[in-house]
Parts: sequence; C-alpha cells; structure tokens
Amino acid sequence: MIHKLALRNLLRNKRRSCLTSVIIVFAFSMMVLFMGLSDGGHKAMIDIGVRMGLGHIIVQHKSFSDDPSLQHLIVQPNQLIQQIRQNKPELTAVSRLRVDALIQAGRHGVALTISGVEPAKEVKMSAIADQRAITKGKTLAEFPQSKTFHHLDGIVIGETLANNLEVRVGDTVTITAKPASGADLSRAAFVVAGIFKTGLHELDTFWAEVPLHTLQALLGVPDQVSQISLYSLETPESLAHTTTQLQTSFNHVNISPWQTAAPELYSAVTLDAAGMYLLMLIVYVVVAVGILNTVLMSTFKRKKEFTMMIALGSRPSTVSKIVLLEAVYLSAFSLTLGLALGLWGHHHFATQGLDFKEVFGTAMEAGGVLLPDKFYSILDASKLSLSVLFVFLLTLVVTLIPAIRAGHRSPLAATQDA
Amino acid sequence: MITLNKINKVFADKHQSFHCLKEIDLTVKQGEFTVIAGPSGSGKSTLLNIIGMLDQPTNGTYQFDNKEVAKFSNNKLADIRREKIGFVFQAYNLMPVLTALENTEMIMEFSGIDKKQRKQRAIETLEAVGLGEFKDRFPAQLSGGQQQRVAVARAIAAKPLLVIADEPTANLDSRATESLLDLMVSLNQKQGITFIFSSHDPRVIERAHRVIHLQDGKVIRDEQLQHISSTHSPAAIPS
Ligand SMILES: Nc1ncnc2c1ncn2[C@@H]1O[C@H](COP(=O)(O)OP(=O)(O)OP(=O)(O)O)[C@@H](O)[C@H]1O
Ligand SMILES: [Mg+2]
Repeated sequence: MIHKLALRNLLRNKRRSCLTSVIIVFAFSMMVLFMGLSDGGHKAMIDIGVRMGLGHIIVQHKSFSDDPSLQHLIVQPNQLIQQIRQNKPELTAVSRLRVDALIQAGRHGVALTISGVEPAKEVKMSAIADQRAITKGKTLAEFPQSKTFHHLDGIVIGETLANNLEVRVGDTVTITAKPASGADLSRAAFVVAGIFKTGLHELDTFWAEVPLHTLQALLGVPDQVSQISLYSLETPESLAHTTTQLQTSFNHVNISPWQTAAPELYSAVTLDAAGMYLLMLIVYVVVAVGILNTVLMSTFKRKKEFTMMIALGSRPSTVSKIVLLEAVYLSAFSLTLGLALGLWGHHHFATQGLDFKEVFGTAMEAGGVLLPDKFYSILDASKLSLSVLFVFLLTLVVTLIPAIRAGHRSPLAATQDA
Repeated sequence: MITLNKINKVFADKHQSFHCLKEIDLTVKQGEFTVIAGPSGSGKSTLLNIIGMLDQPTNGTYQFDNKEVAKFSNNKLADIRREKIGFVFQAYNLMPVLTALENTEMIMEFSGIDKKQRKQRAIETLEAVGLGEFKDRFPAQLSGGQQQRVAVARAIAAKPLLVIADEPTANLDSRATESLLDLMVSLNQKQGITFIFSSHDPRVIERAHRVIHLQDGKVIRDEQLQHISSTHSPAAIPS
C-alpha cells in the first residue's frame, strides 16, 4: 500500500514529477558522459605526452634539469638500465640523447632539437617512431641504416620543418652542433628517411630524430645519454610508488615521474580533473535541489492527508516512509534512465571516439601537448558506481527532514476543515 | 468503555486563554449510540478529539477500556486509534490517490491484517454501505454522500470498538443524511459498534439513544431517549 501511495502520488502531479525527472536524467547522463570523456581525454593526453618522448618515469643526471648541457649526461646508460630492470623487470627502458642544433638544407637553416634514439626500441614507445605518424617515407627503424648510397644515416623530421626547408624524402640535410669538448662545431649529413606529423607545433617544426650512436659520435659523447625513459603499464598510484623506490635505490641519478618532468602537462590534466569535480558538484546540487523541491511541494500540498493518516492511526514512520519512497522511486527511475543514457553516449564515444576537430573546428592543445584528433571515452566502474550511490544517498538525505516532518504532524488538523 | 473524569481543556497562547471544556464527567458504555449536541463553539469537537485520542485534556483523567490514556506513548495511541477506533470526519477525508476499496483497506493493512482477509472485509463493508459497485472509483469520482459512506466503511471495516464521527452529516443533503444514519444505526444494532458523534442537526439527534447537551464547555443535560425507529431498512450488514 505504501508503495502504491508513493507511486500514485508521483503520478498525481505528472508534470512536476516528469520535469524533475528530466532534469535529473539530463544532469546525470551529462555527468556520466563527461566523466568518460574527461578520463578518456586525460588518458589520451598522458599517453600522447608520454609517447612524445617523456616516458612514465624519467631518469636524468642530477644536474640535468638545472643545466641541460652535454656535461650532465648519464654515462653507460645500458649498465644502469640493466640494474634498474633487475630491480623492476616490468619496466621498459629507452635511452635518448638530446641537443640543440642547426639543420640546413640548401640555403635554408633552422635551429631545432635533435634527438638521438635507438630506433628499434622506440617503435612501441614514441609517437614519432610510429608508422601512423609518418606521412612520407619510413620510420628510422625501417630505414636501411648506413646502407644508402653515400652510407649516410637517416633522419626523420616534422612536416612543417620539411616544408620550411623545402626538402623531401631522400634529400640530404646537414646537422651542425657544438660537441661536448666545446671545440669547433661538428657537422654531419643525413638522408631524410621520413617525414612525420604529430599535430604538435613544437614537434612538427623544431624536432628531428637520428640514430643514437650517430649523434653520440657527432657530439663526442660515446655511451652517454641525456635521459632514460621508463615505460610502465602500472596505474598512476603504483607508478608513484615505483618511482620513489627507484630513487632510493639509485640515488646518484635523478628519477622523477612524468608529472614532475612535464609540469605543464600535469597541471593541465589536474585542472581538467578539477573541472570534472566541479561539474559533479553541480550535478549533485541539481539533483538534490530537484528532489527537495518536488518533495517539499508535494508534501506541502498534502499536509491534510498526512494528518488524516495519523489521525486514523498510521504510525509516523509509515507516513515518513511514503514520502521517502516517493523520492526513492523518483530518483531511482531518473538515475537509471540517466545512467542508461549516459552509458549509451559513453559507448558511442568509446567505440567511435570523439573528434576534436569536428567539435571545435581546431585541434586542442593542453599543457604543451596536443590532444589527438580523436580520443575515446573511458569510464571507471568504481568511480561511476560510487557517484550513483552518492546521488542516491543524497536524495534520501534531502528527503529525510520533510519526511520526518510529514510523519510528525499533529492529528488534530485532520478534524478541521480543509 | 469510556470514562471521563473531571476533564478540562484550556486553549492558551501568549495573549489569551480559553477554557473550552469544564469539568466534564462522562461514561459511555459499549454499544451506545450517542450524540453530543450543542450550539456552535460549545466544545463538541474538542470533546470528541479528546475521546478519539487526537488531543489531550489539560487535566482530568480519561480511561479507555479501563486503561489510562494519559500513560500511552504516541505510537501506542496511534495503534489504539488504528485498531479500536474508527473516525468519520466532517470533510470527506479520503486519500485522493486511492480507490474506495483501497481507502477502506488502508488502515487494515497498516494493522497487519493479511491481504485476502482485509480485501474481503473491505468489499463486504463497501457493499454494506451500498457502494459495492463503486469500489474501484477514486474519491473524485464519487458524490459527497458516497464519499462519506466510504469514510464510514473505512471507519468500521477494521471492526473497531468505537466509531467517532464529528458532524458526519454536515455536508450532506437530507436524503444522504437519512441513509447515512440508517447505516450507522444498523451497524450499531447488528454489530454492537459504539457510536459517538456530534451534531446540531435535529434529524440526527432524534435517531440517537442518548443525547448529551453541551453548552459553554459544560454538560447541561444528558438524556436517554426511548429507542426510536428502526423501520428504515438499510443495506444488508455482514455479520
Ligand atoms: N486550537 C484551539 N485554540 C484555541 N481555541 C480553540 C481551539 N480549538 C477550539 N477552540 C475554541 O474552543 C471552542 C470550542 O470549539 P469546538 O470546535 O469544540 O466547538 P464545536 O462545539 O465543535 O463547534 P461547531 O459546532 O462550530 O463545530 C470554540 O470557542 C473555539 O474557538
Ligand atoms: Mg465542531
């Protein structure tokens, strides 16, 4: 009977119940959708940031971050990698040597960053070594090293840079850099093996990659690198733990998580997450106010019914239960519908992805990292169920006081005229 | 069954106080059909509210079924109202979202009477008040007299000891009044339910066994009338 009463009372004012329901459905489904897109966006952002050459954990010389010169390199990186992997076999390590240099082709010259990489190891780790980023030519890994016509090594450069230099795949470029000794400038020629496009201005215009040993030879720093990037499949929490563990074991080098190595990216991600929490807060408030408003309006109009029920001998708890049940039904119904709608949207974006260019007309950059054109919605089941539970409890809490008040009306009022 | 002893009721707020009931002594026995009569403002409703345990006297003692009412907790009072007392109010106090049948069943359900039994009893009672065919209608689809009959059905379906009705006929025309009275008289005769109601309608008063006249909060006359007519034949009553 109390269920019947609750349900019929909801149906009694269909317009009000529907309106409340629609608001909750809309707010909640939006929250679910944004939750998925926000987490998906973060993952894409971190992935791309990490793949653009950061790594999840970065190992550098103690003084490198203060003075990133060739004097502060890690010596014998492979030995260190071996030690680290004895400690943490699940990590994948990639060595990189970076230096500012001048690239020239014909009468054009551009200052840029040259990254010496181990092409075979980069394939899975770096976006640039990924075939999909290469618009013309080959990746360094595919390029037949030192077997070209002039026995020249390959170089991959960004698309904008290629345009600026007016070079194509197969053309020769010259790299000039200052070696570690500080003596005269060193110079070497490379064949353009491939041209990549990441969509990130910095990389597409001022970045080139060559084989590590060639760059080491050019700079006179054999068996030295500027950083070792460690890649992991761990969750961010355990990653932080791993980082501290490594830092204590290897205190002669600097070991930091990507958050420290790329503070702009990190703050962009956290800022975005803060926005998500703000949105969740707004949704909670909307749901709470919606339910409270409905309950207050409907109990206000039914004061006489409650007093009559109490006069007839209903216990206060029975009356309170009816009011609570109304809120429970309304919110359960709306949340289910909102969840279904949100999950449907999530499913769409999880499979089709969201095209940023389609939505905003332009690519989006955050924290120095360009978001990929498309990214995919990711929903954390525990986060989602927690927020469903929270919203549901919230409805109970806001309804509690009106419900108790309805149950504790004086039965006397029933005897007086309406 | 009901014993009131020196009952006083004073309504007081910050500015004024009003002595509404003065030293009421009253005994009502099982099976009586009693009307409380008196001019408007004489305290009829107040007295009925106290008897119905909706309100507490300022002082004096009230015993219901030989038990002191003042000692009951709120929940206990609710339980007694639900199980032993039926109420019919002046305005048709039905739940608008429930059908006649459901309205009649509601209180029985709260008392934990099982579904089959309460439904059967509700149907029988509605038939007894002549509303068998209207059982699935909502209050808004019933006339005032029909609604009041549903209220009576609801009051008696749980087989209470006592039915309290505060001016049950005040909103009814004379035909509806007559048939409601017939109904109550026959319930009183056949089921032995005690009725106490208030009225200043002579048609009602003349059907009572006992008339208690109130004036200015005092009982000025308590008359036992000769049993009057039972010539009207109301709808069949389930026994
Ligand atoms: N809650 C209250 N506060 C103050 N005074 C009250 C209250 N309830 C009733 N009274 C007063 O008590 C007196 C008796 O009221 P009551 O309702 O019992 O009269 P009644 O005999 O039922 O009248 P009527 O025939 O008009 O229904 C009235 O003068 C009324 O103003
Ligand atoms: Mg009155």
